[in-house]
Amino acid sequence: MEADYAIIGGSIVGLSIAWGLLKRGRRVLVLDGDDGSFRASRGNFGLVWVQGKGLKQPAYARWTQKSAAAWADFSAELGESTGYNLALQQAGGYDFYFDEESLEQRVAEFETLKKELGGDYPFEVLRHNELKREEPNIGPRVAGAILHHQDGHLNPLRLLKSLADDVRRMGGTVKCGVPVKRISKRDLFEIEAEDGTIYAAPKFVLSAGLGAMDLGPQLGFSAPIRPQRGQVLITEKLPKMMNRPSGIIRQVDEGSVQIGDSKEEVGLDDRVTLETASAIAARAVAVYPDLAKAKLVRSWGALRIMSPDGFPIYQESSTTPGAFLVTCHSGITLAAAHARYLPAWLDGSDQAPNLEVFSEQRFAIS
Amino acid sequence: MTEVDLVIVGAGPAGMSAAVTAAEIGLSVLLLDEQPAAGGQIYRNVAKADETRGDILGKDYTYGLELVTAMRSASITHVTDATVWKIGEDGTVAYSVNGKASLVQGRKVILATGALERPVPIPGWTLPGVMTAGAAQILLKQSGLVAERAVICGSGPLIYLIAQQMIRAGKPPLAIIETQTKSDLLNAMRHLPHALRGWRYLMKGAKLLSEIKRAGVMRVTGAENLEIEGDTEVRAIAFTHRGQTTRIQCNLVLLHQGVVPNTQATRSLRLEHAWSSAQRCFHPITNEWGLSSLETVYVAGDGAGIGGAKAAEQAGAISALHVAFALGFITKADRDKRAAPILRLQSAELALRPFLDRAYPPSDQVLKPADDTVICRCEEVTAGDIRAYARLGCTGPNQAKAFGRSGMGPCQGRYCGLTVTELLSQETGTTPDAVGSYHIRPPLKPITLGELATLEQTLTDETKGLI
Repeated sequence: MEADYAIIGGSIVGLSIAWGLLKRGRRVLVLDGDDGSFRASRGNFGLVWVQGKGLKQPAYARWTQKSAAAWADFSAELGESTGYNLALQQAGGYDFYFDEESLEQRVAEFETLKKELGGDYPFEVLRHNELKREEPNIGPRVAGAILHHQDGHLNPLRLLKSLADDVRRMGGTVKCGVPVKRISKRDLFEIEAEDGTIYAAPKFVLSAGLGAMDLGPQLGFSAPIRPQRGQVLITEKLPKMMNRPSGIIRQVDEGSVQIGDSKEEVGLDDRVTLETASAIAARAVAVYPDLAKAKLVRSWGALRIMSPDGFPIYQESSTTPGAFLVTCHSGITLAAAHARYLPAWLDGSDQAPNLEVFSEQRFAIS
Repeated sequence: MTEVDLVIVGAGPAGMSAAVTAAEIGLSVLLLDEQPAAGGQIYRNVAKADETRGDILGKDYTYGLELVTAMRSASITHVTDATVWKIGEDGTVAYSVNGKASLVQGRKVILATGALERPVPIPGWTLPGVMTAGAAQILLKQSGLVAERAVICGSGPLIYLIAQQMIRAGKPPLAIIETQTKSDLLNAMRHLPHALRGWRYLMKGAKLLSEIKRAGVMRVTGAENLEIEGDTEVRAIAFTHRGQTTRIQCNLVLLHQGVVPNTQATRSLRLEHAWSSAQRCFHPITNEWGLSSLETVYVAGDGAGIGGAKAAEQAGAISALHVAFALGFITKADRDKRAAPILRLQSAELALRPFLDRAYPPSDQVLKPADDTVICRCEEVTAGDIRAYARLGCTGPNQAKAFGRSGMGPCQGRYCGLTVTELLSQETGTTPDAVGSYHIRPPLKPITLGELATLEQTLTDETKGLI
């Protein structure tokens, strides 16, 4: 098959890029791993999230906002062509606080960022009683919350499915169950799968999540990423009990309550532990006491793909031009940007967003 | 946290015999079981069943009394009504009783979690009035309830036993519709010489069949295209036999397609598993002592591969002997001396198994359900959905789960796991081993968030900073 781009990694980041490239008329070949690959796209929390991101890097905050703003259209277009409802809701989201002091501290940081963003950072502080009006089920221990109006959430598995569907519908070639062993460049990029098959294309995008740790250096990327484990709990389906999501807890469109946001540096280990599971359960019950009676039906661990500063990496290889590394830990939030704006950058078009601050160079300086 | 030498999960024949063996040698033993009384499914409620019920259920059932009695005399801590929901690789076991969660640390763990009936996804299997044959038998053991106006359908020797018990209880089944064929029986015949070591079971089978015949119960083999009919409840079952369709009006349909190891606990521990093409199911890989790929964890009984109640009892004792040796309670020579006669008996016990596996295979209709048949009952996913996900690039059950929610419901994939593996294997042209199975994670059984949250205080402080 002839392709303009070979993309390694067929989950949300890779498929968003493939979708965007197809819309620009490019031919794409996506190579995806197997059923046991570490897949953040299957384990994530489904947030389209702005608040708290890029506090020390306004460019990241802006990129995130740009994506969040593109989401409604992107979701509608995907939904129209595939028939899937992504259940996107962007009516704001909370960050809960159990004490006033840490709340105030955060507000001060948000004010600083807001100035740097020219005022485009719509958040408000809700004290306990105000919050209670918005979320009647909130518990007495919650001192307050920051409500950020650009936050939201969606059904991430339906996003994955609709991208997988639509990329094929638009003529993209997606090969699944083909872990990649080696990548080299002669006239074209040659990608050798573990079964020995060679795939070739003039341009190449590495969006393989944690797979980039091994594959990146073969093309001159330093790919300084690491896994960071997050554990997630999910309850039985419940009647609607919360109106907006937060970074630690949300009610999905199907009714289950999802609890998460633990962070552990444990390498390539995606198991769940009692210590963390019970701690995040206790925190969720503190926020919504009614949850104590809810049945926990599943839990899982998933690995975030973290760069040293937590921001994405968008890098064209300096040793082998035409090869691009795309990696981030916010694949859902940034999916709209990756579908709408990143393809122009890959194509080297005049409309390309300026992504210099997200190059790997930033790690070389320090 | 309580610490013991050995934690055993499951108080069926394997668990009870492991507990007795280990306790007699002097190990401290904690036996956790979901039921209010020991016995497992096979000897369920055996200590409380009255004489009449014992007569109906037969000697093979009342034999369980011996095991239960032996267990009472040994010094075993038996926790009843205990739901085990997480097992750690280090031997930590989390369980709940009456909504209160506890932790126990075992130096070794024996999983004796037994078997599950193979799910039978055929048209109409989700209608009220359909249950598994094993479930009907449990109603009889537990409460003395006998199914009325019932048809038994499927494949496997358990069908004859249940039919006989229903006959003895005075409520014979309306019919027995079997799916295995004459050619299955012919295929099985080459295992017959070996199977003769298990002649007692063959005799028992012959006796059951003649009792069924004497009672005048209609019996068909080689039935195909089973379809349970009814709008809100079962009204009839239809099937074809030699090209002819038959329909039997009934109130209950009891389905059975054999039993398979319950691998929820072993999968959650990420033990190594393999596909058995003879039994069409996954089983954890164990050595002759029942030791899994993890040195803390043993799997004894049907959970390690289907062998039946007696073989399970023997496996429990054998695993317990190895645990006693590994923990330094007995010498290697002592272990081997005690194990030798049990291993000999076990080999005779298992002699019949290859014959049974060939003679009573699961039906094609169950292994290759029609597109519109629901295979995941919790999330109402059909076989056709799974095939569509395969076309969308799903190479394994975990991607299928992400695409269609199969396996995400309260049963955690117990009902659909094997079917999804079979379907993906057919669609992708790869082996079930290569397709793999669902990732199973705790909780093994649903618990409340409150129960989980209360454990927080008893655990280390390392994650306290989260709040």
